[in-house]
Amino acid sequence: MKGVLATEKRGIRELGAEEMVGWDEVTQGVVLHSFDTEVENVAHIRPEERPYSDFNSYTATVASWRVIKPVYNRDVCIDCQNCWVWCPDTSIISRDKQMLGIDYDHCKGCGVCVEVCPTNPKSLLMFAEAEDNEEALAKWPEKKKKEK
Amino acid sequence: MIEIRWHSRAGQGAVTGAKGLGDIVSRTGKQVQAFALYGSAKRGAAMRAYNRIDDEPIITHEKFMYPDYVLVIDPGLAFTDNITENDKESTKYIITTHLNKEELISQIPALQDKADRVFVVDCIGISLDTIGRAIPNAPMLGALMKVSNMFELDFFLDSMKRVLAKFPQKIIDANMDAITRAYNEVK
Amino acid sequence: MADKMELNEVEVWDGNYAASQALRQAQVDVVAAYPITPSTPIVENYGAYVANGYVDGEYVMAESEHGAMSACVGAAAAGGRVATATSSQGFMLMLEVLYQASGMRLPIVLTVVNRAVASPLNVRGDHGDMYAGRDSGWVQIDAFNAQEAYDLTLCAFKIGEDLDVRLPVMVHQDGFVTSHTAQNVYPLSDEEAYAFVGDYKPVDEMLDFSRPVTYGAQTEEDWHYEHKAKQHKALMESYKVIDKVFEEFEKKTGRKYNRLEQYMMEDAEVAIVALGTTVETAIYAAEQLRKDEGIKAGVVAPRSFRPFPYNEIREALANVKSVAVLDRSCPMGAMGALYNEICGAMASTPANPLVTNYIYGLGGRDFAVEDAKNIFREQKANADAGYITTELQQFSGLRGPKLAFYEAKRS
Repeated sequence: MKGVLATEKRGIRELGAEEMVGWDEVTQGVVLHSFDTEVENVAHIRPEERPYSDFNSYTATVASWRVIKPVYNRDVCIDCQNCWVWCPDTSIISRDKQMLGIDYDHCKGCGVCVEVCPTNPKSLLMFAEAEDNEEALAKWPEKKKKEK
Repeated sequence: MIEIRWHSRAGQGAVTGAKGLGDIVSRTGKQVQAFALYGSAKRGAAMRAYNRIDDEPIITHEKFMYPDYVLVIDPGLAFTDNITENDKESTKYIITTHLNKEELISQIPALQDKADRVFVVDCIGISLDTIGRAIPNAPMLGALMKVSNMFELDFFLDSMKRVLAKFPQKIIDANMDAITRAYNEVK
Repeated sequence: MADKMELNEVEVWDGNYAASQALRQAQVDVVAAYPITPSTPIVENYGAYVANGYVDGEYVMAESEHGAMSACVGAAAAGGRVATATSSQGFMLMLEVLYQASGMRLPIVLTVVNRAVASPLNVRGDHGDMYAGRDSGWVQIDAFNAQEAYDLTLCAFKIGEDLDVRLPVMVHQDGFVTSHTAQNVYPLSDEEAYAFVGDYKPVDEMLDFSRPVTYGAQTEEDWHYEHKAKQHKALMESYKVIDKVFEEFEKKTGRKYNRLEQYMMEDAEVAIVALGTTVETAIYAAEQLRKDEGIKAGVVAPRSFRPFPYNEIREALANVKSVAVLDRSCPMGAMGALYNEICGAMASTPANPLVTNYIYGLGGRDFAVEDAKNIFREQKANADAGYITTELQQFSGLRGPKLAFYEAKRS
């Protein structure tokens, strides 16, 4: 399954599977351009609309690195943005402070988002990579009672 | 090539004097070099400055020289520094002192067979009188003009005005007095 | 718009002042510096030019030389014309960042006033710092006097900024002997100098927000080697641009520079190869020896230390019988670096001159005309004997018992 807000450029190849060009084709000074074309006001363009170049890791995927994955449960989420802040791979997709889901092209399955989720039950839980997301949501745990 | 060695203490203006001389000489179409050998770089430490003057570009960069002129602008260094080092039969000495020539030479054995080549002038006294500070470099240049006949006094004074142009008029005038007095008083 | 400075046809400038005037006339945008003797006046003067309105630029006081060169890298990556100065210990502290600057292909100009490297502490001139930079990927140009320090600093911008080069450039001058010796210097007017250097054309500048770039990427064994090879090729081929810039400079000023300077080499039987002010002192000695002692002496001097003028060396020394290579840096456990370069060049030619190595002038020890003459005389003795009559490495101007190493093998 492609991640939320899929784009043509995102995750088009495995990270590290770049074409190994010779010395004559590498960039001068190891300078790497993020975009294929000029961009204006890039901070105001959403990632999926930016013309990312092959030098930008946006176009590479690390999905295969994952053996467990976070699954997101919209029903419990309070849009606190904790997971968005803490994700080390910018793989939490949020729009206008509203959680949309996981970017499975760039998520490595580290579990930090689950760790920092404050809801009860958690809105993000780790499941086996092979597990279907719908089935995972179906077995979501109940709210835990506070121990007295 | 004319070679000049200055014996000075850091702060007395030997480097400025050597560079000023170089500047003036360069405007007459000559090639010049002005450099210094700093001691411990503290104010008051003995140091030496050097000039070379030639018609051809000066390409030697050795510090070693057989000086044509030795300019001693600190009165004490005539006694404590080796001012006759590497001298020649023709080397001329201009020494700052309040003593007269005979008194000075009688106290410095190294100068005793060179009396006809020793000149004295009280650059410290002159600079105190005219500039108000013990900066003996400008009067020494006045004395050098007289002893060497390098330039006419008037030409040299005009040139020095240009070198000193960044200073207030009062300082320029005092330097002109100092140079003129040393030119007239060197013996 | 910066004010113009009125210069005389002939000025009496020392090497530091000459270099600082070149930085001003090139209208350097940023100088980030941590001043150190004997190069201090270069950046000090630039700061004064900025303060007095003679440069439309910025002087950045850094917290160390490492910081100074780092700020230069940042300013150059941002898209500015950038320069600084250093010497000795400061050069050593900059060294790590020198490799960054060249690897990122940033055409920074570094005016290096060569000074000995501690310990023991010493502020005077030798080539220890210059040698430490020889693998750093910079173009290294060597000035032998104050006029050349001025001329070559102007040329440095034009060489490094050329789109076929895009490498940082060091302009070396000898501490005190050049930096603090005032000599006749014939400067260009501000207009002529700037017209020669030209406007700066930034490449991949970080301040172009429409084309965001990454500088300083990491590459491991999969990419690093290719990038280094590409950089080496740029430096190896920079000689074409250096030649072109020297030609243009000659057209403008009549002063001719060559990547390998040669003096009286047409019929020379013996030669000294050297760097810095020693070159001129050796020429002075050679002229006298030719006149007074009939020794056909010549002098060869790499103006461009990097890229090294390998082919030119082979031609220049093809007909010389005995060559003395002078290194003003203690090689510590080996032959001098310049000696090794020269022997490497000559080893692949049919010419087989007798080549020996002289260490000299460490810590500013005077290199006198007489020292140069003695070295020439030893070469003459080698030439006459047809073999090397001395040890391969000798120390010139050293007190104490004679210090020398290695015998030549003759069978």
